[in-house]
Amino acid sequence: MTDETLTYSLPVDTRKVRLKWLVTALVAVGAVYVLSDAMSNYWLRTFISAAALAIGSLSVSLLFAQLGMVSLAQFALLGVGGWFALRVSHGLGVPFELAILAGGIAAAAFGLIVGLPALRMRGLYLAIITLMMAGAIQVLISAFGFPDGGAGILGKSSGARVMMARPFLAQTDEAYFRYVAVVLALCYGLVLLHVRGRPGRAWAMIRRSEVCALAGGVHIVAYKVWAFALAGFLAGVAGGLLAGGVGQLDGSAFPASQSIMLFALTIVGGAYSWMGPLIAGLMLRAFPALLNDFHVDGNIATIVFGAGLLHALMTAPQGIAGQLQDATKALRAKFSGKSGAAR
Amino acid sequence: MPDFMPFFVSGLATASTYVLSAVGIVVLYRASGVVNFSQGALGALAAFISWSIVERGGPEPVAWFAGVLVSTSLAFLYGRALAPRLAFSDPVMRAVATLGVALILLGVMGYVWGELPRRLRLPTDTMSFELIGVRITATRAIAFALAVLSTVAVMAFLAGSRLGLQMRALANNRDLSALLGVPVLRADGYAWIISGALAGVSGILLADLQRLSGQTLTFAVIPAISAAVIGRFSSLPATVVGGVAIGVCEALLTPVPVIGPFRTAVPFVFAVVALLWMQRKSTFVYR
Repeated sequence: MTDETLTYSLPVDTRKVRLKWLVTALVAVGAVYVLSDAMSNYWLRTFISAAALAIGSLSVSLLFAQLGMVSLAQFALLGVGGWFALRVSHGLGVPFELAILAGGIAAAAFGLIVGLPALRMRGLYLAIITLMMAGAIQVLISAFGFPDGGAGILGKSSGARVMMARPFLAQTDEAYFRYVAVVLALCYGLVLLHVRGRPGRAWAMIRRSEVCALAGGVHIVAYKVWAFALAGFLAGVAGGLLAGGVGQLDGSAFPASQSIMLFALTIVGGAYSWMGPLIAGLMLRAFPALLNDFHVDGNIATIVFGAGLLHALMTAPQGIAGQLQDATKALRAKFSGKSGAAR
Repeated sequence: MPDFMPFFVSGLATASTYVLSAVGIVVLYRASGVVNFSQGALGALAAFISWSIVERGGPEPVAWFAGVLVSTSLAFLYGRALAPRLAFSDPVMRAVATLGVALILLGVMGYVWGELPRRLRLPTDTMSFELIGVRITATRAIAFALAVLSTVAVMAFLAGSRLGLQMRALANNRDLSALLGVPVLRADGYAWIISGALAGVSGILLADLQRLSGQTLTFAVIPAISAAVIGRFSSLPATVVGGVAIGVCEALLTPVPVIGPFRTAVPFVFAVVALLWMQRKSTFVYR
């Protein structure tokens, strides 16, 4: 008699999954290509910032889903990344990619500073201290403003504001949208690489129990710090992309309230799923733009987001992504004539 | 050297509103385990409602009372209807849920009243008296007196009354208290009422002392949270000291040349330093 448990040890059929992911990727590429041609300028810009903010939301969901940490400072880190990207781009005239990398690395360093207290704090106090740091960064940004081509360390020009140079490959809005979509895909790849690899296993163990992780020889401090640095890097890249999209950044656009909003919408979108950050990015930018198209007050969006957060926390911890997945599962079960319990 | 006295007085008044708000946060956290990030938004709503009633020609005492009544009943409603649904989730998730409330209130206020520059005028603004060479408006004196009074009253209530005893028991151990017959929902409800009323009073005063803006008043919760952090969400005297220190430092930095523009960072610096100081000894939490 053969041991049946071994035959079914793989929870999913790898061949099927590969095909599914290939189709998803192809559809995504097609959508990006068609969308960028079909959209008006206004919507193109909206989708550019939505894609950039999806990267920001990815950094929130990385900390929340992998380690269960609530960081309310990620949007402020977007501002930090944007600041350094602008500064490097204006000051050194380096290619866009290098400027974005510089922004990402600077934000990762700031993320480390935010994360250092996290080694001793968890839960509520971590949320509060990151909120306070977001506030402090907001004060710094609104006091210094963003560099716009001037001289000096701060790079503030007194005359005309210089726009950030876009990447060589993507000068037009259409091309830049595709460019941002590619960077978004690369960021997803980076996170996937971590989650599937050694760090992901370590994070999962830390999340489950720090005592077990310690007993299992996991370097808790290193992996927590690494998670914060990676999340900061993602946020910084997102900030650089935002800066490239508009050409400059507004000093008042990175308040602590936006960090709260980003966290809230990541929860609403679904922090545990790959779809969540995309949904969060769309809700942050495309939903208010849609309301604007219909001449509805933008404050309605804030009310909807607040209600969505309460709803997500109380009844749908997996967020919209989880509800979508449940719905497709139910539909599939209905069409194939099997019960919902079938895989 | 600039004259710091006027800044000290105005700082003390602002600090009093922080203290009112922070005392509400601490009482609520002790009784129900919820850190209420919507404390500032509730106060802002109270201020807007008072402003609207006065603007329509209503009598002022009625307007203030209505504002505080609305913030109190909203806090009670949330505490009774929605908060218990999260009773078994993480403390941090219960706190994040109040961020949802703050967002809803922020949206409603933006929709109804907008972000026009406004100020709530209290009749006590025109009354003033001199003390050690500084003119003090009655509003500021009232704010200070209210902060002292409410802190003392809340402390006496917690120490002396049966309900206060139940709240302290809940703060100590929720499950054991429930087992011993402490009416959890009832004590929670009263805690929400106290914190909602304090939020309303604080919001109305702050709308007079600074300005009536949904964003500003909603995020006035940050200094209050900082003060509560200094009190470790449990000690009322330490919270009061923290609130006063934050408000006064913020105001005293105004005339200082170089660091003046950064004075809004005072609450963050206080909170971060307090948190780091509290966590200076590495403790390993077994879980």
